[in-house]
Amino acid sequence: MIKLEHVSMKFNLGIEKNFSVKQAFVDFFSFKKKKKKKKDEFWALRDISFEVKKGEVIGLIGSNGAGKSTLLKIVSGVMKPTNGKVKVSGVISPMIELGAGFDMELTARENIFLNGAILGYSKQFLESKFDEIVEFSELKDFLDVPVKNFSSGMTAKLAFSIATIVDPEILIVDEILSVGDIKFQEKSKNKMLEMIKGGTTVLYVSHSLDSIRQLCDRVVWIEHGKMVKVGKTDEICDEYYDTQMKK
Amino acid sequence: MTNLKNIIANFKHYWFLMTQLISRDFKVKYKRSVLGVVWSLLYPILMLAVMAVVFSQMFKFQVEGVNYIVYLMTGIIMWNYFNEASNTAMTSVVTNFSLINKVYIPKYIFPVAKCIFVGINFVLTLIPWLIIIGLSYFGLGEYTCHFNIYYLILPYIFFCFFLFTVGIGLFLSCISVFLRDVFYIYGIVLIMWNYLTPVFYSLEILPAKLQTLFQLNPLYQFLTAAREIVLFGQCPSLLRLGILGVLGVGSLLIGAFIFKKNQDKFIYYV
Repeated sequence: MIKLEHVSMKFNLGIEKNFSVKQAFVDFFSFKKKKKKKKDEFWALRDISFEVKKGEVIGLIGSNGAGKSTLLKIVSGVMKPTNGKVKVSGVISPMIELGAGFDMELTARENIFLNGAILGYSKQFLESKFDEIVEFSELKDFLDVPVKNFSSGMTAKLAFSIATIVDPEILIVDEILSVGDIKFQEKSKNKMLEMIKGGTTVLYVSHSLDSIRQLCDRVVWIEHGKMVKVGKTDEICDEYYDTQMKK
Repeated sequence: MTNLKNIIANFKHYWFLMTQLISRDFKVKYKRSVLGVVWSLLYPILMLAVMAVVFSQMFKFQVEGVNYIVYLMTGIIMWNYFNEASNTAMTSVVTNFSLINKVYIPKYIFPVAKCIFVGINFVLTLIPWLIIIGLSYFGLGEYTCHFNIYYLILPYIFFCFFLFTVGIGLFLSCISVFLRDVFYIYGIVLIMWNYLTPVFYSLEILPAKLQTLFQLNPLYQFLTAAREIVLFGQCPSLLRLGILGVLGVGSLLIGAFIFKKNQDKFIYYV
């Protein structure tokens, strides 16, 4: 379903500084000639290869900034890798960030359609699932209120309900998203578990080793953009935990 | 051929998103305004009124043998379309970066949606435009403009004009990602372009040498074709209609090519 071959991703940190007249002006008046920085290149990922089979649940672990989110973005097509190949067959539902493209001026009803369209749902699909989304979000009374008047919890509930309405072939999840009040948190967690266990192919990022152990068939461990190990969940998790605690 | 098929399939697949983005623009634009969409009709009329007074009364502008008010309004609505569409299309990719960074969406959607949105507004302004032309039968301006069979060519002209604008929009939205200065540069270019295009004057007031030069301006070709039909009841020459087609398709192809070549790099310049 997902196949990564020698995927590398380079960011050019110098881009922020290039092309600016202001910088040239400042440089001109600063007496100390700065050495040219060569280390403007940053490899977020280097030579990552692994394969995810149909129905498999793969966990991604690694410390902050290890490149997990970049990897998810590459798989979901937001970024193209600098080197290497990514092959994905099947419809992806990226749950990396919820509520992408909400327009605060629009009502909840309008945003369901806008956000749904952004996530790639068809019109017929949204119309048929509209009631289900509203039901799950518990926002029936606020359907015609602009989202800017929502509390952050309400917005998150709405976003979660739209994102999880599909039965995707491939699910990409960045942390189990527990949003809203206690009741909704429980509900949303169950919904996520249901989706993950429902036989779909899952790429799952989390810092909670417990949930990784609970859900994943295999684990990929990434550190500083490089793949440290791939293997069975328990082995990798134990090893990862030990090295993290020794530091 | 398969390439073209892919493009069409992609377009179809994301058409729903396109309609959503366009209707979002409409809803946001007229939110909280009492007259709402009526403004799309009223605004060009009021603008015309101001410009008609300024140019025909204060500056005493005239175009020989022509109903100046209709001449002016045709120029204004077409110029306004190009001005607003190319401008909003230019900023559309940069303002939607937060989205591009999170979800995979084909990026051409943003500039194209803007051109369509402004285009729908343009079609609405055709209503007051037709009313003004109709009023010329009742003595608005010195000359009467007769409705005629060649009006059927207008959709073709406007469609080529739309394609031309989309091409420019794609090009601008692409380079402005890499160089935000383009926002300001294009603002100045638009002001210059406005004066170089005979919106409120006629080329005939210029020296003969300049006239040929000014005819190289694509907007001149579009405006003139529409005016020939509306003001003189003439069919534009086949050559001119051909030029419009080439301008429209050519601009679109060049814009799309540049956009496609660079779109994968956008993400680095967020």
